Order: sequence, then structure tokens, then C-alpha cells
Amino acid sequence: MQFELEIGGKVRTVRVSTRDERLEVSVDDRRFDVDHRAVGRHSLSLLVREGDGATRSVDVTVVATPGGAGFDVSLDGQTLPAALVSRFGRRAGLAGAQGSGPQNVIAPMPGKIVRLLVAPGDAVEPRQGLVVIEAMKMENELRASRAGRVTGIKVAEGQSVEAGVLLVTVE
Amino acid sequence: MKKILIANRGEIAVRVIRACRDMGLSSVAVYSDCDRAALHVRMADEAYPVGPNPPRESYLRIDRIIDAARRSGADAVHPGYGFLAENEDFAAACRDAGLIFIGPSPEAITLMGSKTAARQVAIAAGVPVVPGTEDPLNDAVSDDEVLEIAKGIGYPLMLKAVAGGGGKGMRMVSQPADLPGALRAARSEAGSAFGDSAVYLERRILAPRHIEVQLLGDHYGTVVPFVERECSIQRRHQKVVEESPSLAVSPDLRHLMTSAAAAVARRAGYTNAGTIEFLLDEDGSFYFLEMNTRLQVEHPVTEQVSGVDLVQWQIRIARDERLTLDPAAMLVPRCHAVECRIYAEDPDTGFMPSPGRVHGLRVPQGPGVRDDSGLYEGGEVPIYYDPMISKLITWADDRPEALARMKRALAEYEVRGIRTTIPFFRWILGDEDFRAGRFDTTFLDRKLAGRNGQPLDPAGEEHAVLGAIAVAVRQLTTAAVSAADAPAPAASRWQQSARTGALR
Repeated sequence: MQFELEIGGKVRTVRVSTRDERLEVSVDDRRFDVDHRAVGRHSLSLLVREGDGATRSVDVTVVATPGGAGFDVSLDGQTLPAALVSRFGRRAGLAGAQGSGPQNVIAPMPGKIVRLLVAPGDAVEPRQGLVVIEAMKMENELRASRAGRVTGIKVAEGQSVEAGVLLVTVE
Repeated sequence: MKKILIANRGEIAVRVIRACRDMGLSSVAVYSDCDRAALHVRMADEAYPVGPNPPRESYLRIDRIIDAARRSGADAVHPGYGFLAENEDFAAACRDAGLIFIGPSPEAITLMGSKTAARQVAIAAGVPVVPGTEDPLNDAVSDDEVLEIAKGIGYPLMLKAVAGGGGKGMRMVSQPADLPGALRAARSEAGSAFGDSAVYLERRILAPRHIEVQLLGDHYGTVVPFVERECSIQRRHQKVVEESPSLAVSPDLRHLMTSAAAAVARRAGYTNAGTIEFLLDEDGSFYFLEMNTRLQVEHPVTEQVSGVDLVQWQIRIARDERLTLDPAAMLVPRCHAVECRIYAEDPDTGFMPSPGRVHGLRVPQGPGVRDDSGLYEGGEVPIYYDPMISKLITWADDRPEALARMKRALAEYEVRGIRTTIPFFRWILGDEDFRAGRFDTTFLDRKLAGRNGQPLDPAGEEHAVLGAIAVAVRQLTTAAVSAADAPAPAASRWQQSARTGALR
């Protein structure tokens, strides 16, 4: 199984295959040997080893967000939003990581715009935050995937938006 | 007394149910619509609905709670804290219905509930109060009159609501020109929050510590105070970390403060559990601030330090038992205890409430750890009530060891599905001034302002990679379960292994 996953501000290629009782997982160019047990409805105990390194114990909870393509991943006192990226193109809400043309930043899920971090005309760096949307009680910062200039802001702070709505355009 | 109705919800209702069970008493829960599956309902012997979700229509409905007590045949009512705990009408309604109210008399609640009346009790008991006005300033008192009174008190001063609490109806005024505006604001805030717009003036103590003395009083005139609690770590006038004993209180000062607290309680004819709050100035002088006529949130800190179950004693006093605790022993700390109030709030978004379902829960345990909570995995934190979800208490022989245990317990604590203030406490625990005990009531707001909204504990690259691995495992095992459910698949080895390790 292979998929593209956005987590921690990056789109990563994830591959997973079974080998005996264990799993072999690669995240971009890093390969891991993973032993797993379910320890609750949404929780896993993972034993993760990279190469000849130490076997790390990871207690993690993965909860699918309504709509299907997103997850909240909690480990080590942190909660990270994660999103599957479609095989045929970018997930809604993720501007193209490479390539050219305008980046249309789209609401990944229904929510409320809590903060606009840029104004029309602003120059932005790759991965600079553009807009913060609150959904499912979580604030998610949507970022630029590459450098450009903000050419359009289609929403205002405090506004509620549906999934798929265009928020910001960067060219 | 055989059966106690608990007129509350959440962790404090669970705490009282435990005391009932310890004493062989039956417990009765009440619940609003959204609390049907709450932990206190699941744990109680009996449970009765009291109405829709808004507190005004359920947990604050005196008639419905008295009715539930009648239906259940309860002979006593424990109010917990918050909701109706300091409502003299509720205490009186219980008495009128022939129910024992586990708390002070309605008269004592009324007397000590008024901040100006309570100040007068303290003065009569010979206990210093912060210099200020002795009479409420109602709307009829003009700005010019208030300015004249303020001249005698001195600036900076505090404007406070007579009926106040929780920082509402409170304003600091640093110069005469600001007084009329602050007066208008405080009166209107107090009017809408408490239905009473009267305010009073108090001199502002610049960097005080908030020190309070827990006490118990029985129906035979015995009052026993306990080792002080240090409650200076506050966010916007709300306590978030409490500990006992206080680093700022020597045995001599403890003797003075606890004697003063007991004198105020005796003067008020106070019975059951209560707390006298003081401001402690840098020079060691202390002033009576107010009395809380209820069991307090932070009572477990005192329970650990004294070895006394305060809730059990509340019940014993209510059924007319004599206080048999040794007063001298209650003033010698047996250990050092710390409490963190854990809220369903996101510390990275200005402490926005974060209600929702708890999808994963790992509760800290082990030596010197106590978790008083209303949570369980799969349970829901509703949006209608106070977002405090748990109190984490640790104790040890000394403060550094108690803090080390708190650090361990916070690292162990995982609440998934909602955001909590656990990362915020991990951050405070690491602060050098906090560890050294260098703080006053302004400490936390200053420290937070200094952070400039920077996220606590930001997730790193390694977390993201491990998170990606977890999603991969979940995707594979979920797919395997669907495949296994399909008719007659050729069960491969990986499906079998996935099934045994599957998520559901």
C-alpha cells in the first residue's frame, strides 16, 4: 500500500508492506521496521526501529476526521493533523507543492476562519502560514507550498466556510 | 443518614460518590440531558434526570433537585462546588424539605457570601483586612463621593463587586481620572453577572501571594484549621496550580494565619468545610480577602498534606458528629502536595474551550499520584459546563520531589480527541522562577504575556514521521478488517496477523 500524506507541514510518500508478523513502513527515503498492537478503539502501540537503531516504543492514537481524508494523530503529548492526498492531484486545501501557476488554497473541511496571516500583495515564503481555520475544535494553519505573492483573499476572519471553498490565492 | 444526593456533575460528583462508598452510604446522581452517560451517573447507585443542558435549566433548578431527592428517598444533599454550593436559597430549600444540607447553614452562607459583610466579620474577629470601604457603594453613590472615599484609601486601588467572584466586576484603578469609567464598567459587569451592581474599594497590594486556610467546624463550636494552601499561580484570577505548604509561610506565620482564619470562622458561627482566603504581602503582613463557604476545588492538596478525608468529615459533621481531629497535628505538614487543574482548553489558541469526545486516555498512576477526574475513554466533554476535566495531584516528602512526580505524571497523561492544558503545565513545571518558588498572583499572566502566543511544545519532524507510520498502520489494518469481513476471502497470512492486531 502506498499513499501521499500531508503531516507536519510536508507531503510525504508513505509505503507499507507486511513482512512476517511485522510491517515495513517507509516515509519518503526512511525505512522502518514496525511491530503493532491495537490497544484501544483508536489507539496503537508501535515498536519502531530504523535500521540498526534502538527500538522505540510509540503510543499513538489515530482518529479519522469526518469526511474521511483527514486524521488527528496524537503521540507524545502532541496532536498533529494529517491528510491523505489524492492520487490524481492535490488534496483540496493543499496548494501544489511543486510546479507553477497559482496556488489556490481551499478549505479542507468545514470550519471557521480564525485568523488571516497575510494581506493581498504580501510576498510569501514556502510553507509560510496563510490562514488559520478552526474545525473539529482544532486550529489548522494552511500554508503556502512555494514562494509567491498573495493575489486574492476570499474570506474574512470569523467567517464560517464549507469544505472546498477557495480561501486564498498565491501566484 | 443513609443516602446522599449529589447536586453536581463531573469530577466533584465522582469525588463525593467515592466518599459515600467509603462510608457505606448510597449515592444518588442527577444529570442533564447531555450528561446521561457521564462518569458520575455511571458510578452512582441511582440517577435521576433534572432537565436540559443549560445549567439554568438543570443543575441550577432547585425545585428539580429537591424533587429528585424526594423520589430517591435521599436524606442528605451534597452540593459539591459551583452551581448551587453557595446559594443560601438552596441550603434553605433543603432544610425546608427535611434534607440535611452537607455544608454551612444558610445564614452563614448569606453572611460570608457578601464581601462587605464578611470584611466586617473579619474586623470584629480582630483580623486585618485590606484597607478599603466597609459599606457597599450602590448606584446611588455618586462618582464624586466615590472619588472622595478613594482619596482616603490611596492609589492604586481595586474596585470589586460586593457579590463578586472569579474576577468578574473587578477593576484596577491607578489614578483618580480612571475611576469614573472603571466604576461604570465594574457596576455593569457585576449587575449582569450577579444581579447586584454594588461595589466596594480596596487598596491594591502590588505583588501579593494568595494564601488560603482550609478549616472544618462542627456543630459544637470546634473549629480546626489546616496547613495553608499556596494558590498564587493564577490565570486571569483563576487558580491553576495549588500547593501546600507554601514556601512563603514559616511555622510562626502559619500559626498566625491559621489562628486568624479560625477566629473569623468562629465569629461567623461557621460549620462544615470552608476556606479563608488571605493576601500575603511581601513584608509578611497578611489581609483577610474573603471566605469560600463550600468545599473547594483544591481540597485534595490539603487531604494529602493532612491525611484527612475532608469530604468524609463534611458528611460526619452534617450528621452531628464531633470533630475529633488533633488540631496541633493538622498544622504539621506530612508531605508536600501540588495540584494542576486540567482543563479542556487549547493553550495554543488563547485557552479556547475544546469540548468533544475523548478517543484515547492514559491516566497517570504510581507512587504519589492522584487523579480526580470525570473522564473516561469514549466519554464526552460537553460544551455547557466548566471545562475543568481533572485535577492531577502529586505529593512527596519535599517540594522538588513532588514537582518531579508531577512532571512524570504529566508526561504519562494522554487525553486524545480534545485539547487540554497538559502541555501548559509541562511548560510551567520547567520554569525556573516557579521551581524556585519566586512568584506572586501576577506571575502567570506576566509569563504568558512574555510568550507572545508562541506554541507550547511544537510538534517536531520526528513526531510527523512517527505520525505518518501510525497512519500507515491504521490504513493497512483497517483495509485488512474490511477484507476479512468480505465473503470467503483466501485468508492470507498478513490478513490473519492484521486481524489479531486489528483496531476494532
